[in-house]
This record gives sequence, C-alpha cells and structure tokens, in this order.
Amino acid sequence: MASVTDALDTPTGKALVAADQNGQNAEEDFVDPWNVHTSSMKGVDYDKLIKKFGCSAIDDSLIERFKRVAKVEEVHPLLRRGVFFSHRDLHVILDCVEKGQKFYLYTGRGPSSDAMHLGHLIPFLFTKWLQEVFDVPLIIQITDDEKYFWKDLSLEKVKEMAVENIKDIIAIGFHPEKTFIFRNLEYMGQSIGFQETLARIKKRVTFSQNRGLFGFSDSDSMGKLSFPFIQAVPSFSSAFPQIFKGKTDIPCLIPCGIDQDPYFRMTRDVAPRMKFLKPTLMHSKFFPALQGANTKMSASDPNSAIFLTDTEKQIKKKINKYAYSGGRDTVEEHREKGGDCSVDIAFQYLTYFEENDEKLEKIRQDYSSGAMLSGEIKKILIEKLTPVVLDHQTRKESITEDIVRGFMTPRQLAFDF
Amino acid sequence: RHGQIEKGLASIMASETDSRDTSIGKPLVAADQNGQNAVEDFVDPWNVHTSSMKGVDYDKLINKFGCSAIDDSLVERFKRVAKVEEVHPLLRRGVFFSHRDLHVILDCVEKGQKFYLYTGRGPSSDAMHLGHLIPFLFTKWLQEVFDVPLIIQITDDEKYYWKSLSLEKVKEMAVENIKDIIAMDFHPDKTFIFRNLEYMGQSVGFQETLARIQKLVTVSKIRGQFGFSDSDCMGKYPFPFNQAVPSFSSAFPQIFKGKTNVPCLIPCGIDQDPYFRMTRDVAPRLKFLKPALVHSKFFPALQGANSKMSASDPNSAIFLTDTHEEIKEKINKYAYSGDRDTVKEHQEKGGDCSVDIAFQYLTYFEENDEELEKIRQDYSSGAMLSGKIKKILIGKLTRVVLDHQTRKKSITEDIVRGFMTPRQLVIDF
Repeated sequence: MASVTDALDTPTGKALVAADQNGQNAEEDFVDPWNVHTSSMKGVDYDKLIKKFGCSAIDDSLIERFKRVAKVEEVHPLLRRGVFFSHRDLHVILDCVEKGQKFYLYTGRGPSSDAMHLGHLIPFLFTKWLQEVFDVPLIIQITDDEKYFWKDLSLEKVKEMAVENIKDIIAIGFHPEKTFIFRNLEYMGQSIGFQETLARIKKRVTFSQNRGLFGFSDSDSMGKLSFPFIQAVPSFSSAFPQIFKGKTDIPCLIPCGIDQDPYFRMTRDVAPRMKFLKPTLMHSKFFPALQGANTKMSASDPNSAIFLTDTEKQIKKKINKYAYSGGRDTVEEHREKGGDCSVDIAFQYLTYFEENDEKLEKIRQDYSSGAMLSGEIKKILIEKLTPVVLDHQTRKESITEDIVRGFMTPRQLAFDF
Repeated sequence: RHGQIEKGLASIMASETDSRDTSIGKPLVAADQNGQNAVEDFVDPWNVHTSSMKGVDYDKLINKFGCSAIDDSLVERFKRVAKVEEVHPLLRRGVFFSHRDLHVILDCVEKGQKFYLYTGRGPSSDAMHLGHLIPFLFTKWLQEVFDVPLIIQITDDEKYYWKSLSLEKVKEMAVENIKDIIAMDFHPDKTFIFRNLEYMGQSVGFQETLARIQKLVTVSKIRGQFGFSDSDCMGKYPFPFNQAVPSFSSAFPQIFKGKTNVPCLIPCGIDQDPYFRMTRDVAPRLKFLKPALVHSKFFPALQGANSKMSASDPNSAIFLTDTHEEIKEKINKYAYSGDRDTVKEHQEKGGDCSVDIAFQYLTYFEENDEELEKIRQDYSSGAMLSGKIKKILIGKLTRVVLDHQTRKKSITEDIVRGFMTPRQLVIDF
C-alpha cells in the first residue's frame, strides 16, 4: 500500500541512437504500447528492459514458491520457459492465496483487425491456466475505443472487429460463469462503478504526467489522451460492483505483454492515493514475427504471422517459406556447426507450443548439433501448429451470438465475494 | 423568409465555424490597486471579471465571441412563431440578449418539426442563489410555450475535478440542487435530469457520442479554447466534451428513438459559450446538427455588478434557503445602491438605475412592464428613495424564495428518482 512509486525511469523515450541504413549500429530497443523496435535478430534485450522499466525478473525461487502456493507439480510451460519473465508484486498475490483470500485476473486485447494471430493467443493461454489453477474470476477488456481513436475506423467497424475477436477469445475455452468479457465503448455506458473509478483516476494524473508516460503530442486527439485511464480502471474491483459486491479492495493480477507496462505503472502510481490496492503484473515477452524477431507482425502482411484463420496449406507454406531459419547455408555447414536456436523462428515457436520439456530439449540438442535440419524442425512445428489452429477454428464455429452475449452481460459470476 | 430558411438550414450543415476571436485571452491591462484603470472584461466558464459597476460590456463580448445580438425583429418573429402575445420578461428585457442560430429553431417550429431543450448546472454548493434560477425560469417558459422535451445536465464531474471534494460530496450536492430545480416546476413527463457521473455509466449512446467528439478534437484545440495547463488533471481536459454531448440527440436514444438529428436549443449563461463553440465546430464533421443557443447576461452580485457572488460569502447573494429576515437584512444592508449621498441630492438628481442592484433585480423579477417602468421613472427622477425601492424588492423576492422553499419541501427521493431515470418521455419522436 506504500506510496513508493515504481515509475522509475519511466518516460518511454525515443531510441537513443538512430540505426544506420544497414541496421548495423547497436540501437537501443524501443518499447511502448504502440511500437516495439529492435535491431537484434534475437529480439528485445529483456534484462535491459526490466532495468529500464523498474520491474522484477521472475526467478527460479519465485517459480518454486508459485508451485507450492498454487499446489501444482509444474507451472505452465510459458512460465517455466521464461516467456512470462517479469513481474510486479507477484509475491503479494501468492501471499493472498496462502491466506485463503480471493483475487481476480484482468487481461485485455485491442481488436486490431478481424484476424488474430498466434502471438495474440499467448497471454490468453497463460491466463486460462491461471484461472483454472486458482479458480478466480477473469475480466477481459476489449479496447475498441483505443482502435477507434488510433485508427481510421468507424464506430461500427471497431465494434464488428471487437465481436469477432471476442469469439476467438471465447474459443480458447474460458469458463462462461467465471469470465466477464466487455467492449469499452459498451461497458463504459453500462457501469456507474466504471465511471466513478475512472473519475477518481483522472483526477489524480496531470496532463504532463500523462504526456510523459505515453508521449502524446499536441496534435493527438483528446480520445487518445483519455484512453490510458480506461485501460487502468479494470485493475480496481470498484469497476465491477456486480461481481465483487461493491468491494473495492479485491487484489488484481494482470498477465500482459511487457509493452503494456506503462499503463500499469501509471495505475500503480495512483492506486495508493485512491486507497486502492496496486495491481500485480506478470509480463510476457514478444512473440516473434515469422520473418524474424526484429521484424513486425501485422494484419496487413499475411506472411508475417500464422493467423487463426489460416488453412492447413497456408500454415505449411508460411512456415516453410517465410519462417526465419537459424540453419546454415548448406547442409554440410549445418551438420558441422548446427542451427542457431536463439534466432530460429521454428524453434522459438516450439518453445511456446511444445508443452513437453523433454521433447523440446531433444529438438534443441538435435538442431543445435546439426543432427536435425531446418526442414525437419519446420515440419515438427507445422505438425504442432496445425491442430492448434484447426481445433480453434472448430471451437469458434460453434460460438453463437447468444454465447457471446452471455460472456458480455454484466452479471454476478459464480463466485461469492 | 424562405431565403432565410434555406440559409439557416445550410448553415447548420455547413462546415463554417462560428469561432472568430475565440481564444479566451487574459485581460490586456492589469487593474491598479483601486481598480481605476480600464480593464478588459474577462469571461470564461470559470471566471467572470469586470471592473465596471455596470457590469460586463455585452456588446463587446458579442463581438469577441462572434455570436449575434437578439434584436427587436427576432423577438417579433419569436412571438409570431411561438404564437404568444408577449415573450418572457427575461427575453423582453434583454437578459437573454444573444444567440446562435435561434432562427433555425424558429424555422423548425414553423415547419412543425420538434426540437428539444438542453440546459445544465454545475452543483457548486448545497445552496443555489437567485442568479442560478434565471436560466431555469426562462427554460421552463420555453418548455411550456413549445411543448418540447428538456434535458438538464448536472455537472457533478466538473465539480469533482475542479474542487477538492469527494465523489460522495459532489453527488450529495448534485441531488440537493436537483431538488431545487424540480421545485421550479418542470414537467415530470417531459424532463430528464441527470448527474454526469451516473448517466455516463447508464448510456451507451452517451459514450459513443462522446467518443465521436473526442476523436475529432485535438489537445491543442482544447488547450487553446479553455486555457488548460500542464499541471491540470486529466479529468479537466475531457470535461468540455461531457458538456457538449447532450447537444446531440444521439446521447438519448431512449428519448429520441435513436434519432441523431433532432435539433437542440440551449439556454445558458454567456460564459458557457466556449463549450458550445467547440460543439458547433465539431457537429458538421459528425454529420450532426449544430445546437442553437440563447445566452443570458450575468445576474449581478448583491454588492454590485463588478463583485462576485459566492456560496462562501452569504452576503454576496440571496440564497434559496434564506429566511425573510435574512432577505430583508441583505437587501437593506448589502445591496449596492444607485442613490445619491443625501436625500436632497437624490430628489434633485435621481437614482442611477444602471448600477442600482435593487432596480436591476426588479428587471429580473417584476414581470409587469408597467409596474417596472413606473419604478424606473420614480427612482430615476428622485421621487422614490433607495429605502423604498429596496422595500419593493424585498417583498417581491421574499415571495419567490418562500414559495420555492415550500415547493421544495414536498420533493421526495422518489420524485427525484423519477426525473433522473433514463426513460422515454411523453413526447413522440
């Protein structure tokens, strides 16, 4: 509850050194909610980022404690393998669980297009596991307002995109009686609790603080400047009186991409002044783009990612043709030197989707030694990803408007608070 | 006339901005210690300064803001279209003195098209004073004359962001003020009153309209229009949009059956104009109608038109909670008098009605033109002394205030809830 701010070196500044034309110069990584830049094939330097943001690495002892408190033999692969690598106050949530106190989960998504890709799944897969392990409510915020303000889209279009994404999220298999999913532009007009919490936050953040955290400029619309507070609000149980019986101090755990951290630094900074609890965070690394960790995934470039709408053929072709390979130029060289797992996208993707540690380790050894060729590792990945995507599509087909409405209706959940 | 209608309709939809010299500048010359130097009047939604005993120079303000004076021909047209013998004294006497697009509303009425009224109040304290009544008295008359719905916005969020008050406190103040407003006798089936912090969480229509406006207005425009600074909280910045939203019928789908182009007329104090310049500026880009406005002058403070009314200074105004004794004492003791220093001098030269508060107040509350004119003549000629004009005023105001208190007593929580429930009103759209 202390007023200690963890907003240390918080301005999300521009990259210090511009890259030269070949991207050869070492250039500082740049991470904010709307942009992730790195010039390294290995991706963002997460140790540096942890320092810059002032969060804490999830180390082995924390994972051990997690296992004990959650009473599980093993934590989820995404945690085990360091995809979820950083946190703020995770110990506090574990303390609550030890004391038999309930908490809730909060995560979200900006509906950036009709199609979600594999990278979008990651926080949801982990969140789903957390919901099952701890048996807690889950709030999912769909930031249609963010898209409306940042993109040249109509209200109707962002609403359509939001509903389409919500179907994808439901298809991941969340528990309907323990999960509330909402679009901002709708729920904001359905909840006095949300509006009052929003007002409390807005009163406590100045224009210059807002600008400093998010880099807004004078030519930005007021919609943009107002948005960060909307993302902050669900961190407080006062926004959901129908779920938490009006209680305002239910602890909150937020699994999210590390690029979302600025929103929650701001949130944690105002919380004590509102006499509310600071939300806890667990951050994930960036899912690498198909064409390499220093490239961007984008809905407008179909070959930059595997989309949840891809066919079997498309998955096969994309992996074979576009997945950045850490293999050597010739078979001979590859057998000799082995492949570079740290940049190889097929291997990287397997760290996300191959749950079995032993299998993954075997693949790592074989590929690194050169025993396994690029084509082979890609084949393994294709076989792994295809059922993931196809099963998802099957589940999604059975999701009706009524099911969507069910998740989106503000209501009491199957928990007693 | 037809040309006027075409022009009027065209101007609603045109992208013409009516923001001429819209920046809210600081006064050009600082007043010296005696307030002797001519200081430019300063008017924005949070501050009204004038150094003149006669009050703000409204002609200059009309020029500065780029709105239009309500002239005799407009008042005549109003009478014809509204089918009334006389317009309300507040309009007749130029308390409501300025407008934007009032002709457009009259055009609608002529064509049998419905419009709606929108006005509001910032709950600045538990107690409202007489000056607060003015826009509501006029709005009530408009509602009766045209038989249209009325939306009243209580800006509890504004008070929350600007003052050091809790959410609970602004809510209490809002409800108390709503009782005062209901006591003015608005039609329960045609009037929707809401607190921002409540209705904003009850209306997807409000939120969507708000988002549309927010997308179209930049930070620099808001800062320029309202003078916000880096150290202002992020609650203040978007507040002007909350005040703008009810100008569009899309914010009240339950009343207007989802129609987004029902014309709106906003009676308000002239200091509120900046909000609606901004609103009228974005309206065409939203493909919505620009709201029409009718502006009122400032109700002068008891101690003179260049002083301020304030809830923290009980002697600066007549409050709706004052007793007859308090009204009598305040008028006699504190009401700025335009009389002369001695009785003899007064009978010779007469009193100055243009600064005399008792006379000014009577222009607001004495409905009978002939009575008022007689008082004006007698006081200006010196036939009537200050004590007498104050006595007349005390009698008038006491009735107004005590009647109000009586009506207010009978207002229950249920009645308040009735006005505040989002619902269809009895007027069909």
